[in-house]
Amino acid sequence: MSPTTTPDIGEKTREDIGEDTTTDTERPWIVLVWNDPINLMSYVAFVFRKLFGYSRQKADKLMRDVHHKGRAVVSSGTREKAEMDVFRLHEHGLWATMQQDD
Amino acid sequence: MVRRRRPVAFARSGKLVAVRLGDEERDLMANLAAQFRSLLSEDADPDQRRLYPSAYPDDPERDADYTALIHDDLLRSRLEAADVVTATVGNETLEPDELEQWMVVLNSLRLVLGTRLDISEADEFDPEALDVAERSLLLWLGLLLEEAVEASVRFLR
Repeated sequence: MSPTTTPDIGEKTREDIGEDTTTDTERPWIVLVWNDPINLMSYVAFVFRKLFGYSRQKADKLMRDVHHKGRAVVSSGTREKAEMDVFRLHEHGLWATMQQDD
Repeated sequence: MVRRRRPVAFARSGKLVAVRLGDEERDLMANLAAQFRSLLSEDADPDQRRLYPSAYPDDPERDADYTALIHDDLLRSRLEAADVVTATVGNETLEPDELEQWMVVLNSLRLVLGTRLDISEADEFDPEALDVAERSLLLWLGLLLEEAVEASVRFLR
């Protein structure tokens, strides 16, 4: 996968969902991080720990999923929360996108 | 066993981070921070595309809204990170927060350089390559970033 590849977001990713609650019946948004050949694995795991407060184990697993499966769902919630998470990931140079879970 | 030929660049020392960079490395870092700042002011530079990814790749309308909303914030936060590097590049110690700003600059430079070199995960270092200078710089930035991560995780919880 190269950094310019358009992510294939037709495929559903449901893992790691359910830790955030939405107050209405709106389907939650999920935040995905995509593999790229430039970012360092240790740095990606550090960013997950720093931004989301994840344990080392959880951050490492998400990082390995990004590396081996091409992407991982790293957070979920309302659209506003997902947009804020995407912004913070972009601020740290990670390749993040968001989409509505279905 | 391979022995390190240079000290680890960043190491936790109590509440601070000890910086062990030589004068040449500090000069290079100062120079790169200045180049980064000037690159950020060039709006349409294709090498910058990894600095501003799409949030909604399948929804151009929402993506345009997102970009309009956050582009200036992303730019400002990177300029601030570059300013921190410039201000602290000669320091013997850094606050953990300052080291994180260094990491943002190191990683952003890698994204720009890696995009320019069009690198892939399969790439191996070739000392004969025409772009060996840029590739060496990419590796050096990666080494510093790796060592910055190692120092920074020691401040997490």
